[in-house]
Amino acid sequence: MQATVKSISDEALEHKRRVLVLSEDRLAHYPEFREFFIRKFSLDTVGFSTPGYVRGTSGGDYEFIFIGRSGQRFPSGVEIYALVEALEPMDATAVDHDLWDILRWIFTEIGGDWSVKTLEATGRLYLIPAAIRRGESEHHDF
Amino acid sequence: MQNVSGTFAPILPDSIKAAWPYRPRYAQVNGYRMHYIDEGEGDPVVLLHGNPTWGYLYREFIKPLTAAGYRVIVPDMIGFGLSEKPSREHAHSLDGHIANLVALLRGLDLKRITLVCHDWGGPTGLGFALSNLERMHALVIMSTWAWALPPSEFHTRMFPWRTMHAPLVGPYLLGRHAALVKRGIYLSVVDRARFCRETQHAYEFVLPDPDDRLLTWAWPRWIPIDDTARALKRFEWLEDNLRSCTLPTLLVWGQQDDTFDPQIFTRRFKELMPHAEGPHFVTGRHFLQEDSGPEIAQRIVDFLEANR
Repeated sequence: MQATVKSISDEALEHKRRVLVLSEDRLAHYPEFREFFIRKFSLDTVGFSTPGYVRGTSGGDYEFIFIGRSGQRFPSGVEIYALVEALEPMDATAVDHDLWDILRWIFTEIGGDWSVKTLEATGRLYLIPAAIRRGESEHHDF
Repeated sequence: MQNVSGTFAPILPDSIKAAWPYRPRYAQVNGYRMHYIDEGEGDPVVLLHGNPTWGYLYREFIKPLTAAGYRVIVPDMIGFGLSEKPSREHAHSLDGHIANLVALLRGLDLKRITLVCHDWGGPTGLGFALSNLERMHALVIMSTWAWALPPSEFHTRMFPWRTMHAPLVGPYLLGRHAALVKRGIYLSVVDRARFCRETQHAYEFVLPDPDDRLLTWAWPRWIPIDDTARALKRFEWLEDNLRSCTLPTLLVWGQQDDTFDPQIFTRRFKELMPHAEGPHFVTGRHFLQEDSGPEIAQRIVDFLEANR
């Protein structure tokens, strides 16, 4: 099954608040992940000037803030923010499932050793609800 | 070392206190608040845990050791247990954790120390031992390593190890979903039903929120899997110095250990330290203390009596 996360070019932020939902201090732990973000969000040309945006499977939007650190190649880290209605509670389950789909999307785009199949198996081994949900739906599809 | 007064730890539930009735103590080490317990009198035995556990892992060691006439010190690594938990990955390094241990044990002015090392308690504890030989008496080494390469076969696999520590996946699986605390320990004990019933909650209790669990996904990234690893030089130093280390040493391993293969890893330690006693194999996977705590404690008492 293909990931259904899509990168989007712009997002109206009025009446929205940002909720930090996932952060990564060491994007270069495996450099292919940093290369993916550079490629996907044209970071070699836009640098710090603009965040990246994606729309999750649930329809929720997410902002990627890229982090630079002196002495390290950019980006050295990334923070993912859910963009939610300013005064409304966040749907934490939907966000959690979107984050899992974002990880699947990243693995799909990077490819090579980083297979979605292995990610899914890892998620199921550790009883991650989104991975189990997807495993069940895929089972029913068959 | 600055002793710290006051109560910082969460109030432990009775189910944990029943097995861990010890007075919490705190010391300031390198700017962080470290929790430890200090029980009994005699030559000191320091019990060092790793990822993602805390001193509770050694709950079945303390009474046999104190009853045999030893002083038992059990610190919680900064980032785990009842110690302070920095919220940034950059707060952690192998050298930093060794230095935390140096600050604590020198601060307590311990001498004739027996260090009992497990998992990341190995590289950190051996780092202390090899840089403070004048304070050392003996070593007990369990399910750990102390060299740069090669890594354990387990740590080179895409499934599950490298995948679960990939960028963003680590914070998601181990941070948001507590994968190592809720599932990883369970997968690495033999008697899983008993572990679930009696023990698992004690590990989950001290790492309740995603930010608390930072070190559970940060530590694995310090395991060298190739020559670009951050701590490569420190691990090479550990290996070089272990070769000339003559401290009485006991090797204890879980015979079902699928993280650090019992045959491969004990053979490597024996090559580095031919004088080491053992290996003694007990029932256990990586967290062998959970399956064979009293047996290992008695083995340590016997080893220390033979090496007084």
